[in-house]
Amino acid sequence: MPRYMLLLHDNPASFADVSPEQMQKVIEKYIAWGNRLREAGVMHAGDKLTDEPGKVLRSNNGNVRITDGPYSETKEVLGGYYIIEASSYEQAIDRSRDCPHLQYGGTIEVRQVDME
Amino acid sequence: MPASQDPAAGSTHLLVDHLFRTRSGQMVAWLTRIFGPAHLELAEEVVQDALVKALLQWPYSGIPDNPGGWLFRVARNGALDVLRRHSAFRDRSRAIAAELMRVSETGAPSEAAIEDDELRMVFMCCHPLLPRDARVALSLKTVGGFGVQEIARAFLAADATIAQRLVRAKRQLRDQRIGLELPRGADLAARLESVLEVIYLLFNEGYSAHAGDELTRLDVCREALRLGRLVAGSPIVSAPAAHALVALIAFQAARLPARVDSAGEMVLLEDQDRALWDRGLLALGFAHFERSAEGREMSGYHLQAAIAAVHAGARRPEDTNWTEILTSYDDLLALNPSPVIALNRAVALSRVAGAFAGLEAIAALEMDPALTHYYLLPSVKGRLLEEIGDRRRAAEAYRRALDHTCSEPERRFLLRKLNECAPAGISESRPQPGEGSVGRAPDLTQASARQAGPLSPG
Repeated sequence: MPRYMLLLHDNPASFADVSPEQMQKVIEKYIAWGNRLREAGVMHAGDKLTDEPGKVLRSNNGNVRITDGPYSETKEVLGGYYIIEASSYEQAIDRSRDCPHLQYGGTIEVRQVDME
Repeated sequence: MPASQDPAAGSTHLLVDHLFRTRSGQMVAWLTRIFGPAHLELAEEVVQDALVKALLQWPYSGIPDNPGGWLFRVARNGALDVLRRHSAFRDRSRAIAAELMRVSETGAPSEAAIEDDELRMVFMCCHPLLPRDARVALSLKTVGGFGVQEIARAFLAADATIAQRLVRAKRQLRDQRIGLELPRGADLAARLESVLEVIYLLFNEGYSAHAGDELTRLDVCREALRLGRLVAGSPIVSAPAAHALVALIAFQAARLPARVDSAGEMVLLEDQDRALWDRGLLALGFAHFERSAEGREMSGYHLQAAIAAVHAGARRPEDTNWTEILTSYDDLLALNPSPVIALNRAVALSRVAGAFAGLEAIAALEMDPALTHYYLLPSVKGRLLEEIGDRRRAAEAYRRALDHTCSEPERRFLLRKLNECAPAGISESRPQPGEGSVGRAPDLTQASARQAGPLSPG
């Protein structure tokens, strides 16, 4: 079965006004979504990435240049990823469609893992 | 509170209901004690950050084995960070760090320590030096873990109003140097009275049928019961009046599932399906009612709880001991001569001595300026007139009741009654679409706070 990587980009928002009850509700929605995929046996992995923007390495005429990034100039930050199983892009999209991430202003990038 | 009282019952129970809300209050109380009361806002920030960490982490890692302990651990690390950054703690940072480490193996302080911190916070937020509305908002925010928006929804206020009220209240806490010590000795009675009053107001705010958000209002009721039990359960501060208040709240809360029918229409106390009353809450009510009788104190809460207990103990409406209720209203009236209590007493009187006696008692109240704009007076009158078969004057009374402000479910109820008494000629009063709020049954035999005003115990 092909695997797909779901890259969850966050729209960094201020959480100052989000109430504890709201946060709990949001978490429960994510967990419920993940559990559905887990119960279907198609969730392989999922990790949160740390909050700092990370580092980017580039080679410039043989010199490796390291910068902060890569998202310093854009608003969206890669917050974490899941790896799921799906028979096709269509099904992978279908399984991502009801991920609560989309309700909260985030975007999901779906990429097939090349296992050839 | 039992699961049947939980509006979220039936949803996926991935976390204990209201875990974040409750833990938030507990962690703020814990950190505020350790940082010192002047640093309440800092404690709130640290706690908010810990919750946000969970929000960002748990969708990927799943819910940890001990979610509450996880939150306390992360908050503690946040607090240690703050110690390093803030110069205000330079002299005390070692002592504070040591105190932060005093936790059980779960990462959280012991349950007893948490309760003690919460109790101190309740007394701080309910300090009599703060204005009453500030005490209520602050208790919900700081102890209850409610958000500004949620408080605003429950109280039908603008977010900005509540936010400002909280800012002012916190400033007053600082300016007046109100601390976290538990009152003792001569201080205790007045401080406890203020705490009980806030809990009473909270419950009634949640319980009364105004057009606030229904789920949020039920949450406010639940929080009032939780705080009441916290206070009543403390050997240091508890008093018979605290038990009486918990009994009153539990009895009333037990009736919540029965006060609206399946169509969302309100149901009068005497028409309620008593099988729907929450047995766990009734038992809790009776247990606290018994304990409220220890000692000689007879507060307004005692009398109201006594009335609620009579209703709670009646298997059928016709089993209600109205003579006992009437006596309690007489005592209540002696304690607090309020026209609203007198109106409730008139209903009890009508059950003991007949509708005519009730109508006579109401006639005496009709001139009272405090009741001029009070829809329940003509509404009660309509009901008694109906009972004596005078449908024409009953319709007139219901029509007058509809001239006054009342909640949407109450309005629909009155329109229904008016229709029954005068089927024609009401075309000018159409029900407005509701806001989804569900109404309180007009417990005419209850002196609820919005009607009676705060009844001071003692």
